Amino acid sequence: MLQFNKTLKKFYFLLPLAVIIIAWQLISGFNLVNSSLFPPPSRIFLAFIELLKNGELYLDIKSSLGRVFIGLFIGSFIGVIFGLLTGRINIINKSLSPLFNILRSFPPVAIIPIIIVWLGIGESAKLFSIAFATFFPVWINTHVGASRIPIVYTNASSILTKSSIKKWFSVILPASLPYIITGIRISIGVAFVMVFVSELAGASSGIGYLISISQLSYRMDRMFVGLFLLGFFGFITDYIFTRLTKYIFPWLEKI
Amino acid sequence: MNNLIIEELFVNYEDLEVLKGVNLNIKEGEFVAILGKSGCGKTTLINAIAGFLNYEGKITKPKRIGVVFQNYAVFPWLKVKENISFGLEDKNKVKEDVIKHYLNMIDLKDKSNAYPFELSGGQIQRVALARTLATNPELILMDEPYGALDIYTREKMQKWLLDIWTKERKTILFATHSIEEAIFLADRVLIIGNHKIEKEFKINFKRPRNEDIKFSNEFLELKKRISKFLADTL
Repeated sequence: MLQFNKTLKKFYFLLPLAVIIIAWQLISGFNLVNSSLFPPPSRIFLAFIELLKNGELYLDIKSSLGRVFIGLFIGSFIGVIFGLLTGRINIINKSLSPLFNILRSFPPVAIIPIIIVWLGIGESAKLFSIAFATFFPVWINTHVGASRIPIVYTNASSILTKSSIKKWFSVILPASLPYIITGIRISIGVAFVMVFVSELAGASSGIGYLISISQLSYRMDRMFVGLFLLGFFGFITDYIFTRLTKYIFPWLEKI
Repeated sequence: MNNLIIEELFVNYEDLEVLKGVNLNIKEGEFVAILGKSGCGKTTLINAIAGFLNYEGKITKPKRIGVVFQNYAVFPWLKVKENISFGLEDKNKVKEDVIKHYLNMIDLKDKSNAYPFELSGGQIQRVALARTLATNPELILMDEPYGALDIYTREKMQKWLLDIWTKERKTILFATHSIEEAIFLADRVLIIGNHKIEKEFKINFKRPRNEDIKFSNEFLELKKRISKFLADTL
């Protein structure tokens, strides 16, 4: 019984979701609102099945997720490198951090038109937009993490080894990891926003593209499918990332 | 010669004078404790010897130095065996043997793949000392290593440290604020206060020492004298 209650508690989060879906179905299904503007969940589900059957959805999902992961990887990778450098090396911090802070204050969405002029509407423009936007949360978090490493760790490493490579890879990087992971989690959300916006601005596949062409044909049900897919994959990516980091780095929450 | 010789050591933190003309000579194989109130400069002295901060004066020290820190400075992201081998350069048979030797010595053979968060405070400090000993230092600086431990674990660790020291005979400079700990462990107790070494007490208890000496009149008398000196002069 106790076990059953414990299992039940894990699914409590579904309760408000179920209430919203049922209320929405009733309100829309009984035409209390205009159902062509606000289609009921049942119609959205049917649209989802329809899109799955004609195979377009797989390509859209594949395109969007591919862009998200590649862009996020590039942005995070560069963000970690620069974050460690600005966090640990004073001269690099003083020369680069002001520049990054100015660039960070630009709304990333606003750079998309400029990027399109520079790089066109191809894949490189989308990846650049996502990498640009995801760079800053990772950079700032890594910077903070690297600059706040307890001195006792750096002192211990300097007395134990003369190898700079070992100090960077075995001490500074892992000691900054909790902050790096926070930065990447923020960037996961940013990446999904950016993939949507960059696909709106010009694409032939992707979830943003699906929403964009569905708007032209007033297919509100398909627009909602796209919206929910973005939310779903954003949530799942964050969830898997969190579980994975806990599995790979079991010590993370203990420091 | 592996003596530690400190001549006219001055350390400032910006405008604050922390150490003012410290002189010290520690012979090879000697166990010396530095005793003083919190903030008296014990950690600063250790950090200056270790080379962690700038100073004026002259420090002549052995080449290989190990430090055991105040707050467990074992790396939380490395397993026990990785922490122990951190200061070793090569991935060869010798390294494996060193790890095995120190795992045995600290009695944590079965915890070699454990992370520090899976260990108790006493076990973590044993790993910290093993990591230091594995690099074969000629001088070990210990900065209040047992400050965070409960009294029972602390006493156990003191005994254990003396056993290790008897076997390895490393030169040790041990900072503490516990008078009892300083007397029990050391050959000499140096009182640090007013930014310099104020007084030296020679400890003549025979080695190997055991817990019983803590209840002897001689021990209690010495403890009283040091305590009075601290209260009167600092």
